[in-house]
Amino acid sequence: MSYLVRRLEFFFITLWATLTMNFILPRIMPGNPAEAMLVRYHGRVSPQTIKAIEVAFGLNSNESIFQQYLEYLRNTVTGNFGTSVTFFPVPVGDVIKQGLPWTLGLVGMATIIAFALGTLLGMLSAWRRGGIFDAILPPVFIVISAFPYFWLGLLFLLAFALTLGWFPLGFAYDLTDSINLSWSFAGQVLWHGFLPALTIVITSVGGWILTMRNTMITTLAEDYVKMARAKGLSPVRIMLMYAGRNAILPNLTGFAMSLGFVISGAILVEIVFNYPGLGFTLLQAVHSEDYALMQTLFLMITLAVLLAVLAADVLTAILDPRTREQG
Amino acid sequence: MRGHRLFGIGLGAILLLASCGGSTGNNTGTQKSVGGVLTIDNESGALWQCDFNPYNGSVNGQSFGILYEPLVYDNLLNDQKTNWLASGYKWSADSKTLTFTIRSGVKWSDGQDFSADDVVFSFNLLKQFPAADLQSDWSVLSSVTKQGSDQVVMTFQQAAVPNFYQIAGQTAIVPQHIWSAFKDPASQPVKQPVGTGPFTMSACTGQNIAYKRNPSYWQKGLPYIDTVNYPAFLDNDPANAFLAAGQAQWGGQFIPNIDTYYVGKDPHNNHYWFPPIDNINVWLNTTVAPLDNKAVRQAMAYGIDRGAVSQKGEFGYEPAGNQTGVLSPTFDSWIDKGQADKYGYKLDVTKAQGLLQSAGFSKGTDGIYKDASGKRLSFSIINIAGYTDWVASVQVIQDNLKQVGIEIKPVNLEATSYFDKLFTGNFQLAYGSVNTSPGPSPYYELRNSLHSATTASIGQTAAGDYGRYKNPTLDGLFDQFGQTTDQAKQHNLIKQVEAIILEDVPIIPVTEGVAWYQYSTKDFAGWPTKDNPFAAPAPWNLPDWEVTLLHVYKKS
Repeated sequence: MSYLVRRLEFFFITLWATLTMNFILPRIMPGNPAEAMLVRYHGRVSPQTIKAIEVAFGLNSNESIFQQYLEYLRNTVTGNFGTSVTFFPVPVGDVIKQGLPWTLGLVGMATIIAFALGTLLGMLSAWRRGGIFDAILPPVFIVISAFPYFWLGLLFLLAFALTLGWFPLGFAYDLTDSINLSWSFAGQVLWHGFLPALTIVITSVGGWILTMRNTMITTLAEDYVKMARAKGLSPVRIMLMYAGRNAILPNLTGFAMSLGFVISGAILVEIVFNYPGLGFTLLQAVHSEDYALMQTLFLMITLAVLLAVLAADVLTAILDPRTREQG
Repeated sequence: MRGHRLFGIGLGAILLLASCGGSTGNNTGTQKSVGGVLTIDNESGALWQCDFNPYNGSVNGQSFGILYEPLVYDNLLNDQKTNWLASGYKWSADSKTLTFTIRSGVKWSDGQDFSADDVVFSFNLLKQFPAADLQSDWSVLSSVTKQGSDQVVMTFQQAAVPNFYQIAGQTAIVPQHIWSAFKDPASQPVKQPVGTGPFTMSACTGQNIAYKRNPSYWQKGLPYIDTVNYPAFLDNDPANAFLAAGQAQWGGQFIPNIDTYYVGKDPHNNHYWFPPIDNINVWLNTTVAPLDNKAVRQAMAYGIDRGAVSQKGEFGYEPAGNQTGVLSPTFDSWIDKGQADKYGYKLDVTKAQGLLQSAGFSKGTDGIYKDASGKRLSFSIINIAGYTDWVASVQVIQDNLKQVGIEIKPVNLEATSYFDKLFTGNFQLAYGSVNTSPGPSPYYELRNSLHSATTASIGQTAAGDYGRYKNPTLDGLFDQFGQTTDQAKQHNLIKQVEAIILEDVPIIPVTEGVAWYQYSTKDFAGWPTKDNPFAAPAPWNLPDWEVTLLHVYKKS
């Protein structure tokens, strides 16, 4: 139990630290949101417009930084994230709501698929160490995972969308359609999401294969595996329940963290495939010095990572009795 | 709009490998019938928020023109004025009162009648809420009242003839019966827009806005197009791919290697035209010695090969500028050829060095000129690191000036800190444009670049005139321009302005920024062209895009 208490303490201290950092960092950036607006419009707005926008943004407030900090903490706790400057006057919550489902769907699914696939393949190649499978798979994926994923995305777009025309040129669903619950819409989402998801899976699966294979090899040499073999258990059971279950432990925290980072989206994939996710929104918030939006997104990312790590710790405690006893 | 600068050249080059999909065009159809779905391709840099408020500067690009209209359409490229929601207007003799006659028979898209009351309401709304007054109409207006049943009288604090462009041409008129309920018109989200425009908003998602033809539009029989789709593109590259694949017909952003990448896909139907709309200059901070010395400024103007900058820095897409400061060919009728030729500013090393020598500078052993005290002619020039074309342009300028004997050190900054330095005068030289919306004659850009009323002391934000140039004679010429509606007089005044810019070189125009515009004649005709510039052609030219959409029709 004390193990969990310690984990929770750590969780809250980290949370407070990130909240504070989150407040300070955007404010030490140079410039102001109205100037950033000029950048975004490439000078196609007059200074008068900028002045009007400054008034509308309420940039001329005289609140002290400490007052702002207290208000920020209060707003964060009450879930009042303010108004986005980039998408003025839309509330930050609405901006995030627009991109979140797509990011969770695309990057989340791709991460889970990559982890599941990578772990399984890693397990198999370690199980048949030196086999054809083991000789080909790890090296191939190490090479592929070294590709920048936007580059691979561009290549796929060029080959399968632009030249062959099998897949659409971007967007999350057909341009003229609107979000609805129907099979045809679900089909569109899958069709539009296929190439971006494939890009992410292919470039990230290599890492999982490799780490799983390596820990699996060490585990296979353990006495309890030999014992299980000697007892005549079925090979599948040994692979999954004896070797696999132990080998997966170090990977679990890594997986939890990458799940947490799902919220930050995949900026370059979103740009290449013109996909409406949060990654690009985050980039825009930074470009536009949109404090409210930026802070909320960073907050969500840190919160998601912290929660995921906490969940992984709990899961580790369940899977591995040793962690519980050591506490 | 972000597409103004040449972004993402590297990524685009990869897509360039795309193979062609040839097709044959048919240009014979001249029957203009109603119908067709036209798709706009303009990098918006964000998903749509589905807000159609013309008084909100961050979203008015999706509503002003096509949904809400101005009183008079004033063509950005040639100042041709067409009566729009006003059927006529008249200036008083002292140019301080402007009377509009409001068009009758116009209906709002919800069926209610449009009237002079809506116009009076709209302008007074902007007075009440300065945040909504995007064009600063009330910096010159003093009252807007109704007269009789269909006239609107505007009085001005001073003669303000050029402000006609902002007031009549750039201010959207909104319906009183809906907007009178809004508490804060600048930030009011407008989800169901009601306007007088040729289209109505029929559906909006983050990805796309669909506009449908307004069957009761006041210009009978118009528009021809049935549906306009406006997808949201996050970046240039996907937008360019979409356009090149023929999925959109009207583009408005930079395309690297456009002749192969876009025109080559369908040479018969894919076209582009890039009319210049502003100058990209070397700004000289005239408060910094020795940039306060005219001879040094002139020497620099003779030390830059503008053609080379255009070719090497801008791929030839943005043409070379000229030292009169007047855009060519856009405003050719305003250029004083004779004077420009007399000075003949072009790369002329001998002449530049002669100017420096007669001003008391001597060449040092390192090839750079020095003043009597031994101070070298060496300047830093600020620039935006993300604008790869500008960075390349400054490299050419750097090489040019080195031949003359002037050292330039580029400082490539992140955009926000660049603007901060530019606006506050915290630079020696700066590369860039004046960051105000362009106007329909050279007056607008030149006044904003050089009138001392737009400047501020060092450390304060200047709205224009970043070089802190002060010349009472020049200011007087601009002020006189503002008081006259006489075309001949206006031309004469601008010629005097050019004379000062040529002689005094307060700024060095190097290249000309353009309106990026691509169009396909495969299915649609009636586009604005170089020979028929009835509207500024980019989809982000407001409200000109409405006029383009009124002319374009589907070929049968």
